[in-house]
Amino acid sequence: MIALKDVCKSFMQGDESVFALNQISLHVKRGECVVLKGSSGSGKSTLLSLIAGLAQPNSGEVRVDGREISKLPERFSAKLRRQKIGFIFQKFHLIPHLTALENVITPLIPENLSLSLLDEKAKTSMEQCGIAHKASMRVNRLSGGEQQRVAIARALVNQPLLILADEPTANLDENLSRELIAQFEKLKDKGITQLIATHDPLFFELGFVDRIIEIKNGELV
Amino acid sequence: MIFNMNFLLLDYAIRSLMRRFSKNFFIFLILSLLIFLLASVLMIADAIKLELNSTLKTLPQITLQRFIAGKQSDVPIARAEALLDIEGINAVTPRVWGYYYFKPAGVNFSVVGIDAYEEQYSPTLTLLTQHFDMKLLANKESMIVGEGVKKILAENYYSDFFNFITPKGEWKRVPIAGVFHSDLALESNDLIILPKKLAYAIFGMEESKATDIVVKVANVKEIATIVQKITARYPDMRAITQDDIRVSYQNIFDYKSGFFLSLFSVCAFAFFIIIYDKTSGLSSEEKREIGILKAIGWSSDDIVKEKFYESFILSLGAFLVGISSALFYVYALQAPLLRNLFMGYSELKPTFLLPFSFNLSMVILLFLLSVPIYIAATLIPSWRASSLDADEVMR
Repeated sequence: MIALKDVCKSFMQGDESVFALNQISLHVKRGECVVLKGSSGSGKSTLLSLIAGLAQPNSGEVRVDGREISKLPERFSAKLRRQKIGFIFQKFHLIPHLTALENVITPLIPENLSLSLLDEKAKTSMEQCGIAHKASMRVNRLSGGEQQRVAIARALVNQPLLILADEPTANLDENLSRELIAQFEKLKDKGITQLIATHDPLFFELGFVDRIIEIKNGELV
Repeated sequence: MIFNMNFLLLDYAIRSLMRRFSKNFFIFLILSLLIFLLASVLMIADAIKLELNSTLKTLPQITLQRFIAGKQSDVPIARAEALLDIEGINAVTPRVWGYYYFKPAGVNFSVVGIDAYEEQYSPTLTLLTQHFDMKLLANKESMIVGEGVKKILAENYYSDFFNFITPKGEWKRVPIAGVFHSDLALESNDLIILPKKLAYAIFGMEESKATDIVVKVANVKEIATIVQKITARYPDMRAITQDDIRVSYQNIFDYKSGFFLSLFSVCAFAFFIIIYDKTSGLSSEEKREIGILKAIGWSSDDIVKEKFYESFILSLGAFLVGISSALFYVYALQAPLLRNLFMGYSELKPTFLLPFSFNLSMVILLFLLSVPIYIAATLIPSWRASSLDADEVMR
């Protein structure tokens, strides 16, 4: 599902170029659940951004579902991201002032689907995340846990093949974190590939996690 | 494009506008106001130009005045007959007219003496003589007055007559026989028409003289030559042609347009401040939203398209509101305030209506100066933000 080969990514810091990722090679099979562990600034988020096609590597190859996302024109990489990838962010990244339902359907808007199909997809996804009853509420009025569920419902609305989660429990308390982990387990049962970047120890002893990979200073350990 | 139109994106754009309601409403209001002001000024200018042009058509082809020691003086009527010898002159009419200062209201009335048996030199007078029995006017020594004159006289307790004071200090009581209607437009509002004999008495003029002479020519292309011949024969006479009057009207009008050029500059300045504000960048909230949209699968194209809908709805809406308000203000309300600036202040304001003239090129010009510029000013920073890595924008 995911194949990275010799991927390097650097950023400019003043006049200096700093490596965020150095010669990363990684394979994640379809249906696999992989936890990417590492401290803050280790390069986890950058790696997820490259896999999602949100950033381009300086060198190397990033393939998702057999397609080299790093070489695709922006329009096609957006389409691939919309149709095959669900992204869950650390800070939820919901659009404030929109309702939960409106946030969930936002990824579908460029698809220009019929209203009934749109409604059906959003409803299914929200029910799956147990947030359907808050559909008409503005997200900035929801609790942190509810916001995270809306964010997951949004990531699932396109029935993606791959879920990328960036520190999904960073803003949740332990109970909410456990609820979220239960959601990930359900996704695993459905055969959805997951790559979860986290430094939360709760993820390190889970039965449904296939692999734990550690990243340190931009390199896989 | 219409077949590919994404109504969900349009719906998102409308919701997005509503989400930032106060900011967008303020921009909408300012844009509408600017377009309204500019459109109103241009519409008033157009309407007045149209009215002036139609008024100018009614003016005499050549008016001859006599000047002695640099001051205008009465013209001997005998010269009128002598002028008929000049080839190309069709008709010559000596006019008796002048201004009568009405102190209580601080206004001047235009007093014109006419002879019922003469051919009238102006279409307005011809129209008036068709409406009123001029012979009866002569017999009864009465006058007909414009609506403005009638109103001013009535306000000063002269409801059916007026006492003129002659230069000798005598009172001349003249009954009002009728009133012209405002459909005779600009030139008739302050007018008093009375028999020539009465006009001579009121102005204290000799009956062998006229105020000026109006000349009608057979071929308008010969006006310049005829003017040359007349001034060669009578060096103390000055000829004013229809073109001279047109130029002087145009100069006054252009001078007043200067006012509006300043207004236009202020409007343009305000508009460009908005544009500058838009192009100088997006708020962090807007940038973050663009980043989120990219991260969840929108392409830069989708984002730019959505921003296009937003700015198009806002600017087109403001444009339509501005133009339709201007149409209503200028033609339905007759442009209160602004019209006075153009027409100048007078107690005897002409009661003419601003004639409707829809200048499509002006509307297109205003459209091009507002809508596309606003859209471009919105799209450029959005496109810039959407081209950045979403990752970078969201941080």
